[in-house]
Amino acid sequence: MARRAQAEQVVVTPRRPELWRRTLAARELGVLIALVVVLSTFSVLNRNFLTVDTFGDILTQAAELGIAAVGVTFLMIAGEFDLSVGSNFAVAGILLALLTTNLGWSPFLAIPLVLGVATAIGVLNGVITLGTRIPSFITTLGTMMFWRGIALAVTGGWPIHVLGSSRMLDLLGGMAVYQTVRISALWWLLVTVLFWFLLVKTPYGNWTFATGGKPEAARALGVPVGRVKLTNFALAGLLAGFAGFTQFGRMGSMSPVWGDGLPMETIAAAVIGGTSLMGGAGTILGTVLGAITMASIRVGLIMVGAPSYWYTAFLGAVIVVAVILNVRLGEMMAWRR
Amino acid sequence: MAEVALIEARGITKSFGKVKALEKVNFHVGYQEIVGLVGDNGAGKSTLIKILTGVYPPEEGEIFFEGRRVYFSSPKDARALGIETVYQDLALIEQMSIARNFFLGSEPVKWVGFLPLLDSWRMTSTTEEALRGLGITTLRSTEEEVRVLSGGERQAIAIGRTLHFGAKLLILDEPTSALSIVETQKVLGYIQEAKRRGLSVILISHNLYHVYPVADRIVVLDHGRKIADLRKEETTIDEIVNMIAYGGIRV
Repeated sequence: MARRAQAEQVVVTPRRPELWRRTLAARELGVLIALVVVLSTFSVLNRNFLTVDTFGDILTQAAELGIAAVGVTFLMIAGEFDLSVGSNFAVAGILLALLTTNLGWSPFLAIPLVLGVATAIGVLNGVITLGTRIPSFITTLGTMMFWRGIALAVTGGWPIHVLGSSRMLDLLGGMAVYQTVRISALWWLLVTVLFWFLLVKTPYGNWTFATGGKPEAARALGVPVGRVKLTNFALAGLLAGFAGFTQFGRMGSMSPVWGDGLPMETIAAAVIGGTSLMGGAGTILGTVLGAITMASIRVGLIMVGAPSYWYTAFLGAVIVVAVILNVRLGEMMAWRR
Repeated sequence: MAEVALIEARGITKSFGKVKALEKVNFHVGYQEIVGLVGDNGAGKSTLIKILTGVYPPEEGEIFFEGRRVYFSSPKDARALGIETVYQDLALIEQMSIARNFFLGSEPVKWVGFLPLLDSWRMTSTTEEALRGLGITTLRSTEEEVRVLSGGERQAIAIGRTLHFGAKLLILDEPTSALSIVETQKVLGYIQEAKRRGLSVILISHNLYHVYPVADRIVVLDHGRKIADLRKEETTIDEIVNMIAYGGIRV
């Protein structure tokens, strides 16, 4: 008997916690509960809510927010903020509209160039923040106003319209792929999968968590903390610009005032989804569910005939409840050991 | 000294402004030796360690590692030779899993086409093996977050990590300062296990009662000078306590 016990100790098998434990410990649990509550409420209030058509509308709304929110989540996990995503969104859309309509550029040239500009806006946020060591909240508050002002100044405050449809607009966000589900939902899916992969399955993702979790420790172990943050600023910029493209594609025009609420909405989606404001923790799936929850509220309120003003009030309540839920569930998991 | 020491520092002097933090200190650690470095606050323990790990250069004095003269321009140089420090606040990230912490900065990668993937299986199995090797069997899974672990378990992970990555000299800064009695005993056990595996250890502590049972030799610093360097057999706890308290010279 004794010898057997000894033999068993030597055998090393990586164990995973049981499924129920992993489910309960998942950071996404809070947002999942919130989403189910929101969907059930609206389904009871309006029979037509739970249909493919409605879901398509929700996904379209969620995708434009969600693409930017994925980038913001990545950056928040690394411990930084980007409030300039909404202005970057507008600048990218306007610039693409100007280049392709007014200047007649080929989309093949204009799209990569504008994505480069959006990335550069992100890099600039990073360079200012890391170079001067001021909080990114302040840096990007400044660049938020700066780039919004540039978008307004360049357009004189007027939207840019594209007359007639174009293949480019269709591919960016206009085209329906299945009933009311638009192509932007597919772009979002692609972005989500790529960034989920990067965060969870690569060393770079590990560095991102460590950079936001405890930068001094990460640095001591050889993680290039500054470079990780800078890269994540760049990615947040890139995705904000791309999100602008999808709205431009759907609307066939671009206004310099669009994307106004995006900074707070992206942070809200991330936080509802369990991402920590302090950095070091968060998931891409949580943010995706957060964006879907927010879009469901918007679409649901319209369907039950509530004035659209209620959206903001309702959303505010959901954010607070979801975060309380996340924190409480997290604490429960810590005791349970 | 008949044999070559693993690390030897000769005549180390360092001052900060007018304060002499260290004055002509000689210090060495032999192979597979545990040296307790004790002294009151401000005695120069941290400064000495920072010089041995490349955080500051000494103003005067020389450092030899495995018999060769070395110059450290940064902590990286010291780490490259196998000198690893586990600080009081530990380089562990609370919200990350044990396995992810264990491999942070040296993640094993499995290439799938052009994609560098984390080799999760290797991460979890190696971490478990390493921790079990130290005698830790209380962990449920290496996928648990570090924040749910006790102080002793955290020490074990930090020590296990340095062992795994091939350190030769392990420096522990107050490893037992925040631990319960039972946990302290466990951590002291891990330190002895590290020695059995061929490492040398410098154990810095205020608490002589933690250092004394495991140390082979005890070095006492006082106001930047070395006032004692004694093999454990040659001294008693009370004698050293007196030296720390009164800065007394051994009669």
